[in-house]
Amino acid sequence: MKRKNILFVALFVLIAFVSFAKMSRANDDFAVGKTLDNFTLPDINGKKQSFNDLKGKNGAVVIFLSAQCPVVKGYNGRINKIAESYKAKGINFIGINSNSTESLAWVKSHAEENYKFPMLVDKGNVLADQLGANVTPEAFYFNEKNVLMYHGAIDNDRSGKNVTESYLTVAFDSALNGKTIAKTSANAFGCSIKRKE
Amino acid sequence: MKNILLFGFVIIFAQVLVTETFGQKQKPKPRTSVKKTPPKATATVLNLPKVTQIDEAALKNLLKRDGEMSKPLLINFWATWCDPCREEFPELVKIDADYKGKIDFITISLDDSAEINREVPKFLVNMKAEMPAYLLKTDNEEAAIASVTKDWQGGLPFTVLLNEKGEVVYIRQGKIKPEIVRGEIDKTLPIEAAKQIQNTKAN
Repeated sequence: MKRKNILFVALFVLIAFVSFAKMSRANDDFAVGKTLDNFTLPDINGKKQSFNDLKGKNGAVVIFLSAQCPVVKGYNGRINKIAESYKAKGINFIGINSNSTESLAWVKSHAEENYKFPMLVDKGNVLADQLGANVTPEAFYFNEKNVLMYHGAIDNDRSGKNVTESYLTVAFDSALNGKTIAKTSANAFGCSIKRKE
Repeated sequence: MKNILLFGFVIIFAQVLVTETFGQKQKPKPRTSVKKTPPKATATVLNLPKVTQIDEAALKNLLKRDGEMSKPLLINFWATWCDPCREEFPELVKIDADYKGKIDFITISLDDSAEINREVPKFLVNMKAEMPAYLLKTDNEEAAIASVTKDWQGGLPFTVLLNEKGEVVYIRQGKIKPEIVRGEIDKTLPIEAAKQIQNTKAN
């Protein structure tokens, strides 16, 4: 009889474990408030760069970009402007290219022509998978403690003509002023990240 | 007695494990293999096709299904500036031809509204696309994206299949795999209709 009870308990524990494993898998994207472990990726010159070395004293923005996406092209001017003005405030931009369809030579020449911040190559879309990044451009803003503060679009108008909400810079300013960030994520239309097949 | 109990537990556990491990993530396989056919060159279109501009409210209306009398709805979100969208379009046109009358299929462009009488219809006519075509213009992209499904971050192309009840049964962000989309459509159809499509294609 005792043996039967033990078996029952064992079965219950196993089912509970499997169900829990399923639940935790259901929400596998990197959520706002989560802390990023330091990561290392090669830059466009093949040199290994670590997130902790590249971030500023007030954090960093990991921004997924593409050499061919027209939406990224439309945002490049704004991205550079924001990157420059917030570098002075201790928030550094780190570009990431996770597109399997873009060659290293292409990514390198595009980055050299367009950006002053480092561009890292995420071969096999490992970082994109870890953060749940799907779109270019897509920004992940981490504070100085590597805690994700904001995730998503830069602003609410990809054409740049009618921007009424500058999600990313509003998030920076709130955090820099010690205020709560009102809007911690926003989706917008963009190009899908081309993951490896 | 003990042995029977133990055997029962092992069976139940194995079943739970298999369902949890493979039931959720496994990519749905098409029920039957479908031979590829070239797109039917039916229309000799002289004028550019009509592209209807919609806002967020109209998008929500398009997503509604009324149940019994409705057909499944396949929607492809695309833009002329999106290379993978253009690349996959011929496959979408083939799917439209093969499932005509069985499902509703619409395309929604995210191009600038200035292109509604230019690049968008020009591309559609080149593709010989006959699906009803829309162009979404909204000040609130975030809300528009969320109204389709919470699992979409806005990347194009995006293909979504709703069953006759309006429930999202399949999504794909990025280029489609035609055989997977076809398999998913077949699953939403009554068995006879799906078979009929297979038979038509076999003959």
